[in-house]
Amino acid sequence: MGNTMKCELAQEMIALSVYGELPDDQGPQLERHLAACELCRRELEAVQALSKAMSLLPVEEPSANLIARSRLRLEEALDAVPHGSWLLRCWQRLAQGVWRLRSAPVAVSGVLVVGLTAGGYSGYRVGEHDAVKTAPVIHPTPGEDPMADIANVSSIVQEPNTENVEVVYNRLQPETIRGSLDDPQIRQLLLVGARNRLNSGVRDNSLGLLANECRAGHQCDDGPIRDALIGAMRYDKSVAVRLKALEGLQPYVADDVRVRDAVLEALMKDTDPRVRTQAIELLEPVEADSSVREVLHTVSLRDDNPEIRTASRQVLDQIPQVQ
Amino acid sequence: MSAESLRFFPPSSAQLSATSTPKIQSSQGMATDPSARATETDLIREAQQGSRTAFDALVRQYDQAVLRLALHLTGSEQDAEDIHQEAFLKAYRYLGNFRFECSFYTWIYRIVTNLCLDLLRRRKSRREDQAVMLDSSGEEIDLLTNVSDQRASANPDRELSRKFLGERIREALDKLTPRERMVFELKHYQGLKLRTIGEMLNTTEETAKNTLFRATRKLRANLAELR
Repeated sequence: MGNTMKCELAQEMIALSVYGELPDDQGPQLERHLAACELCRRELEAVQALSKAMSLLPVEEPSANLIARSRLRLEEALDAVPHGSWLLRCWQRLAQGVWRLRSAPVAVSGVLVVGLTAGGYSGYRVGEHDAVKTAPVIHPTPGEDPMADIANVSSIVQEPNTENVEVVYNRLQPETIRGSLDDPQIRQLLLVGARNRLNSGVRDNSLGLLANECRAGHQCDDGPIRDALIGAMRYDKSVAVRLKALEGLQPYVADDVRVRDAVLEALMKDTDPRVRTQAIELLEPVEADSSVREVLHTVSLRDDNPEIRTASRQVLDQIPQVQ
Repeated sequence: MSAESLRFFPPSSAQLSATSTPKIQSSQGMATDPSARATETDLIREAQQGSRTAFDALVRQYDQAVLRLALHLTGSEQDAEDIHQEAFLKAYRYLGNFRFECSFYTWIYRIVTNLCLDLLRRRKSRREDQAVMLDSSGEEIDLLTNVSDQRASANPDRELSRKFLGERIREALDKLTPRERMVFELKHYQGLKLRTIGEMLNTTEETAKNTLFRATRKLRANLAELR
């Protein structure tokens, strides 16, 4: 049997060999060690067994639905990237150019020489002929930033042997719609607004309005709105949004198990005590449900916040003892 | 069923060359042949010049691989979707900084792995407070998992045993540090080379190697604990 140091090294090599990362020249060395060392042979078996066991958690391909949903969401987000990114890209291109030039001092000198010559020559020509030819592409209204509503530039083609270029660009065209909160189109837009990850104000407003509609019982029985509220309650980074979503879900805690589970999850997992407190209030009408009782019991024992522990205990105390 | 049932003992232990490796899932979009790489380079350059069409083509080349990795690491479609979105938005914003010093695949995976590491770290700090309860037989049950479970299933027995095994493995994985989890994920489940993993995680191949070794040690201990 090899000494301890050698076994330690052999065991590192075993892990690498199981994952096909052991350099070829170290293979024979490890084999010799294994032939003489029972302990390391067992180690090899154990690492191989681990590798097989871990493969029991399969790597699943993302579903077509997930791919489509993700692409759609990304497209919406890319469309919403503010025009600032156009300027950002210009800046990045400039920075990239500078980086390239820095890495090629000879090219810098060349560019300078060519630039000075061309500049001098064109200055001379302009002075001589007094001919200015420009082709304004964008006609901004006075006082308006000409780049303000440009979403992006999709292609640039230079006409051969001329100074003319054709730039294809997309403008952002904001539109406005007015209507009742019960209007399906308005609701659809509110749902889109609720998914706006870039502007928390819009998200907050949209979810707040949808939640109010649900609380008031205004045709809120369809899936998408309830799903949006559940999603916001689970994942939104803003506490205000999560609280609003929770309020909106109140009417459904009693009848919709999904809603109840989501509220229980908020009570267990949410990092903000205000959300957890409100979740307890929402659960009061369904306190007799066994999973609600279990969660309340756990929260009454383990929550970091003493007030939440007390509130859970109070709700539990109201439940008539069945057994 | 205990974690002991997860253990397998292959018939022969001395055959190093025939060691079992997991099914390797290479990236669906990874450009491997020279012509594809040239096309990809063109796409990147066009996207850097502002072509949204070119950027969309790049997204379609890599997004399934990104989703697959994020889905497996987080175990949640919603998280995977969020990571997908954040990763490509970042790529879109900072594409101008990509200077072909590494492959685009490595670059985009670097963004994704960083986002996943952030999420795993956030989750880990949350899980510390996670409640654990005892069921009627005195065994620990994970309430959160129970709460979020779907309540109906087509084939309850099979589904339950599959779920049980998966959960045990996930529990063992969850006990790793986010970095160990990431190295193990990229090596074992995504089948990447340690050198590439080092590049993605901004570290050396040697460090990735040590992290993998540590991860396998911990996983064995963690699975043994879950009896």
